[in-house]
Amino acid sequence: MTATTNVSVDSSRGAGRPARSRNRRWRGRIGPIIVLVAIIGAWIALPSMSAVPHYVIPPLAEVVSALTDPSAWPNYGQGIATTMSAVGLGLVIGVAVGLGLALLLAELPVLYRAIFPYIVALEAIPKVALAPLFVIWFGFGLGSKLVVVVLLVFFPVLVNTVHGLREVDTDRIDLFRVAGASKLQRLWRLSLPTALPSIFSGLELAVSGAMVGAVVGEFVGAQRGLGVQILVAQARMDTAGVFALLILLSAIGVALNTLVRVLRRRVVFWVKPLPAQTV
Amino acid sequence: MSAAVVVRDLGVEFQLSGGTGVTALRDVSLSVEPGQFVSILGPSGCGKTTLLRVLAGLEHATNGRVSIAGGNDRKDGARVGMVFQRPILLPWRSILQNVLLPIQVTRRVTDADRARARALLEMVGLEDFETSYPNQLSGGMQQRAAICRALITGPELLLLDEPFGALDAMTRDNLNVELNRIWRETGKTIILITHSISEAVFLSERVLVMSHRPGRVVDEVDVPIGSTRTLDVLGMPAFNDTAAHLRAHFEVRA
Repeated sequence: MTATTNVSVDSSRGAGRPARSRNRRWRGRIGPIIVLVAIIGAWIALPSMSAVPHYVIPPLAEVVSALTDPSAWPNYGQGIATTMSAVGLGLVIGVAVGLGLALLLAELPVLYRAIFPYIVALEAIPKVALAPLFVIWFGFGLGSKLVVVVLLVFFPVLVNTVHGLREVDTDRIDLFRVAGASKLQRLWRLSLPTALPSIFSGLELAVSGAMVGAVVGEFVGAQRGLGVQILVAQARMDTAGVFALLILLSAIGVALNTLVRVLRRRVVFWVKPLPAQTV
Repeated sequence: MSAAVVVRDLGVEFQLSGGTGVTALRDVSLSVEPGQFVSILGPSGCGKTTLLRVLAGLEHATNGRVSIAGGNDRKDGARVGMVFQRPILLPWRSILQNVLLPIQVTRRVTDADRARARALLEMVGLEDFETSYPNQLSGGMQQRAAICRALITGPELLLLDEPFGALDAMTRDNLNVELNRIWRETGKTIILITHSISEAVFLSERVLVMSHRPGRVVDEVDVPIGSTRTLDVLGMPAFNDTAAHLRAHFEVRA
């Protein structure tokens, strides 16, 4: 009797668990979908029902047609190419300089003490405010835009890498010392892997910073790019065009951010993702 | 045969940030024969870990002399293997890569190194885990891998700094039996730091007792039990007598 009771309890438990977890996963996804549907619904309803003029909130259909109009595509293509070349090049330069200087500061404590307080102070100033100055210095081309992007990329990478490199466990340093490892070996096989999670946090900030830098650079003085196209559309009161460009920028930003996150999960496989992300 | 480790009148002082000095060790002298298993027993804060760190080249002697296997050249990291209180495995390396780390930081890893690493893992029963990562292993398994890592460079001297202190009692007993077997199979000279009297008696041929700060060696006891130690040893009169003798050093006077 007892044996059969146990079996039945076990089987019901075994059947219940996967169903519950599937249910939970579904519940986790349904929230964002409801919000998205609500936003799109409001967007469709609001301009048609109310007195809100179309130049304030354009109907969804107008934005979609602005995005899908084939005659606008060469323009979008050129804008994306221009803006993204500043973002890409700025990311490469900013990450390289940030990583390089961080390694130098971590290895040379004298330099660290001399320079790092200023770096922290500089990080506090709103760097986009420097953009007009860069236009004077570097002109209306790629140069000034690139400097803004590099500046916005460089700081988060530098600061996060420095913090990561300084988090190395003293026991692990002892392990390398007993093994007779050189400083370079210690840097390569201990400090850098230890800092990788922080470096990726810096990269995530850098990617969004690069997008901000490129668009701001184009706002204050440029001839081409998605930022310039936003200004042009604004001047024509073409709100649907502005929305279309914003959607393009958002899509690119989300794609870049996702790329960094996927890369992080692959590279820093030993760090468990935050519980909030796994649920 | 010359001694594997000789320490003469060793003194270690630390400068605290306030400028005051703390004497961690004073006039410590000891010598360990090749192939011997010696434990250093003492209360926490007696400087026993400092002594081990000096032997490992991690701390400098203020006074006195330390010689290991006939020389003082600590440039060659291969001469000493050390197992720390925690396993300190690197989470981004597989178990095999962790074991090979001490070789990899000094030279290129060869196939012979990999074969030796696998043989060591087999010796501690971890042959099926070479591609696993540290977070997939239990604490006891991690410390076994750390022992393999300490042995990979073929050191004559193995330094163990309370290696099983963080493990539960059952795992600890098993690892003590295993460590005794490893010692017999490899013939290494082993110096173990511990604050466990039974662990010291169970594992060693000789136990050195250290006093509270400043640390000095106040007693030296030979353990009259054969080199093969199993859990049966724990019930032997010789074990209990030696343990009782050692315990007298640490009794709190009422």
